[in-house]
Amino acid sequence: MQDQKTATLTAIFSEVLQNLAFMFNDDDDGEVIVGEVWLETEMGYRGPRGGNLRFRCSRDFSILLAANLLGTDPESVDSPARANDAVKEFMNIVCGQLITALHGTEEAFDLTIPELRELQEAPDLSVTRDAQSSTLCVQGHRLQLVYVPE
Amino acid sequence: MSSNVLIVDDSTTIRQMVKRTMKMAGLNIDEVYEASNGIEALAQLNDHEVAVMVVDINMPTMNGIQLLTRMKDNVRLKDIPIVIASTEGSQQRIDQMAHFGAYGYVRKPFQPEQLRDLLKPLLGVVDNAGSEDGDVDGNLF
Repeated sequence: MQDQKTATLTAIFSEVLQNLAFMFNDDDDGEVIVGEVWLETEMGYRGPRGGNLRFRCSRDFSILLAANLLGTDPESVDSPARANDAVKEFMNIVCGQLITALHGTEEAFDLTIPELRELQEAPDLSVTRDAQSSTLCVQGHRLQLVYVPE
Repeated sequence: MSSNVLIVDDSTTIRQMVKRTMKMAGLNIDEVYEASNGIEALAQLNDHEVAVMVVDINMPTMNGIQLLTRMKDNVRLKDIPIVIASTEGSQQRIDQMAHFGAYGYVRKPFQPEQLRDLLKPLLGVVDNAGSEDGDVDGNLF
């Protein structure tokens, strides 16, 4: 069951990146870009059932994501706030898609507002016990999405 | 009659994406106003005449449901067409928004054509940027 949920998580993670930002999971094991600043964004949903999502990425990736969403160059993403906003909206959309995939479309859920913080050190991207997680490599940047059901 | 549009979303990224979509679609728009929550939206509506609104649901301070509820009770605002652009996909939520008078619903991440096809009948177009592949007839929700 956990494998199935992890597969669902990975599918949604990849699909939203593709459909929203035209970003694709790297097929080959190329060089991984190590970001200096890491971000962690959390949000959840409440209702007939509940769950929490945590997304980790580097500051460099957040700038790429914002640029792709806005259809502009990364150099034009001139403030961390703009990049943070793109990450939070990405999380919002992933959460909405995940709810539908896991719980169907019959019942309504309330989503919390995404909260983003800078991490003091690079995170451990290994799989967490009691949580489903998906780690992707996109344009050389490692990203991790963790789902913790309530 | 103005063709002003008000975009209500707490994400500046989404507001920019919606503005870009409307511009690319060649929709007949005078001014685009922005608000990051329901309270700001009501302030904008107090200051400006608005023909169409694009509204998110999940926002801080005053969310989309609360905004539509307030607008429904206001004689001056209750007939403004509202297109919901939200991450939420539950039928219960979509029905709720229709009950509050929303004109249409587009789920994020949406294709530019989906938003364009919802807004086109409300705003019209100023050039040949018409719909080739959209489907909105009787299927606004």
